[in-house]
Amino acid sequence: MEVFLQSLLSGVLVGGNYALVGIGLTLIFGVMRVINFAHGDLLMVGMYLTFYAFSLLGIDPFLSIALTMPVMFVFGAFLQRVFINRVLDALPQNQILLTIGLGLIMSNSVMLFFTSDYKILSTSYSSGSVRLAGLSVSEPLFVSFVITAAITAALYWFLIKTNTGQAIRATAQDREAAQLMGVNVRRMGVLAFGLGAALAGAAGALISPTYYIFPQVGGAFTLKAFVVVVLGGMGSVVGATLGGVIIGTVESLAASYVSSGLKELFVYVLFLLVLLLKPSGLLGKSRL
Amino acid sequence: MRASSPRGLALVPLLALCAIAAVLVALPLTIDNPYALHVMILLFLTVVQGESWNVLGGYTGQYSVGHAAYFGLGAYVTLILLQSRQVPPWWGVWAAILLAVVVAIVIGSITFRLRGPYFVLASIAVAEIFRLVALNWGSMTSGAEGILVSDIPPLQVAGRTVTDFTSKVPFYYAGFALAVTTIVVNWGVKNSKLGYYFQAIREDQDAAHSLGIALPVYKNIALGISAFFTAWSGAFYGLYVGFIDPGTVLSVEVSVQFVLICIIGGIGTIAGPVLGALLLVPLSEALRANLLSDLLFKLGVVDEGTPTGIFLKDNLAHAHALIYGILVVLVILFMPDGVLGFARKLLARRRGQAPAAAPSAAKDSA
Repeated sequence: MEVFLQSLLSGVLVGGNYALVGIGLTLIFGVMRVINFAHGDLLMVGMYLTFYAFSLLGIDPFLSIALTMPVMFVFGAFLQRVFINRVLDALPQNQILLTIGLGLIMSNSVMLFFTSDYKILSTSYSSGSVRLAGLSVSEPLFVSFVITAAITAALYWFLIKTNTGQAIRATAQDREAAQLMGVNVRRMGVLAFGLGAALAGAAGALISPTYYIFPQVGGAFTLKAFVVVVLGGMGSVVGATLGGVIIGTVESLAASYVSSGLKELFVYVLFLLVLLLKPSGLLGKSRL
Repeated sequence: MRASSPRGLALVPLLALCAIAAVLVALPLTIDNPYALHVMILLFLTVVQGESWNVLGGYTGQYSVGHAAYFGLGAYVTLILLQSRQVPPWWGVWAAILLAVVVAIVIGSITFRLRGPYFVLASIAVAEIFRLVALNWGSMTSGAEGILVSDIPPLQVAGRTVTDFTSKVPFYYAGFALAVTTIVVNWGVKNSKLGYYFQAIREDQDAAHSLGIALPVYKNIALGISAFFTAWSGAFYGLYVGFIDPGTVLSVEVSVQFVLICIIGGIGTIAGPVLGALLLVPLSEALRANLLSDLLFKLGVVDEGTPTGIFLKDNLAHAHALIYGILVVLVILFMPDGVLGFARKLLARRRGQAPAAAPSAAKDSA
């Protein structure tokens, strides 16, 4: 029972991070109907920013999100303006290939400049743990979950309460109608991509104390982010939050009860099952 | 009327193809530089990869980004049979191909219900499942260690040894034969009723369905043909390189490579993947052999002694994936029909509004 609760708890904590990555992906998809295959690579860029902010400037990884998020926002907005904007009306396949290409450029440029060596960001609290209701939790994981929850809450507030947030949601619901109501949908695209990149960057910053940092780390996260988003329902922010927690839990339970090498296998099988049985996801409208 | 009628090749291009084939057959007799042969073998392999993806992605419009599954299956089954059961590869490869086709049809029956981006995502997930299984099923696949081919038994026909696979020449001819077979099958598919069904599905699957084309059946036939040659190329790769592991034959990068060859050359055309291979293989070899940085130094663009020069010399050799990425982005943004489509458009524009040229170019690139 304790093993079960322990894996459940760490699954939820890791899942918070997956949710953050997934929310970014789902925002981008919602507003532009573009599936961003470079999403994990944006997370990887966030990890490297955090690593160098820590090793060169001595900025704590959790504080560095104040730096990573704006930088990644600008980077994401730039990518949208220069590349994604041009293929908004192209075939979905071409959009996917474009983002795959952008991802290849990001991961391989990082590899050229910083080599493919694994980097480890170790802080004073990297291996620390906190007790929580009789269960032991890794300290960096716990702190990152708290920050993730705060960012998610702030994002919900932004999307629901502010005018810009409402405009983003309107664009996601119906692009033409939003345009007729005077929403600048092109600008919403730039904003959504910037926000998505900033969230991916924040997720990268938050996991950097507990994860290896290397140029190809993004691929696994891209795929996991899709699973999260499809599970929750493409375009649904609440769905992505839920999906992240579910995927984190499944992974963690599979790792404790089956084998840690096979935990991702369970995630992908679950993904295929969702695609086949309920392609609209838990909270999404059917878009097939 | 001069260039080509839709069914059948005109005499001049046919003669040109025969001449090219004759030169390629004679090449190993005149050139014994192993590196040149190596590049040619890679070129054949890449052509086969591109053409086999083309059947599913190009004609039928189902963008699989999971072809590594069939490539890896072909490589693994052939090499496992060879290493642990001593099955000669020219028999083992058939077992591999058969298994890959069966697996493909099972996967296809499940995933072809999905459309557009959902199909792409499902195909990636399937390939990842294969990679994870290969990585964790150590007793069968030796996991992350990979499989090293120790010895390929000599090929004997009627008691006479045809080849013992010690040089690159047998691989050259095997690769050439495989490439020719794939191209011929592609041509046959494209110009048959089957190919028209495929293209109808690509253009509008609901319309095709309402005309009585059974979508799952024909999508699965396309995938089956595609998996057949993909598995074959995987087996060929494994035997030629002599080593496979989950990272080299089952990773997402491998799947992306399949798509890239077609995207860069031109999707849904016979010549597209060939052109893609002709661009990609020499490019990545030139990078690997540091030809590109040498060229920059010779042209005086960058000085070899400066820090930039040293940086380029050290790193450009590993930059082929970066160049791939840049190529994809450029092609998608500026030549969405691939280099071939772009060239055709340029040609059509140069001819002015020649009445015959414009519509046929538009039709081909569609």
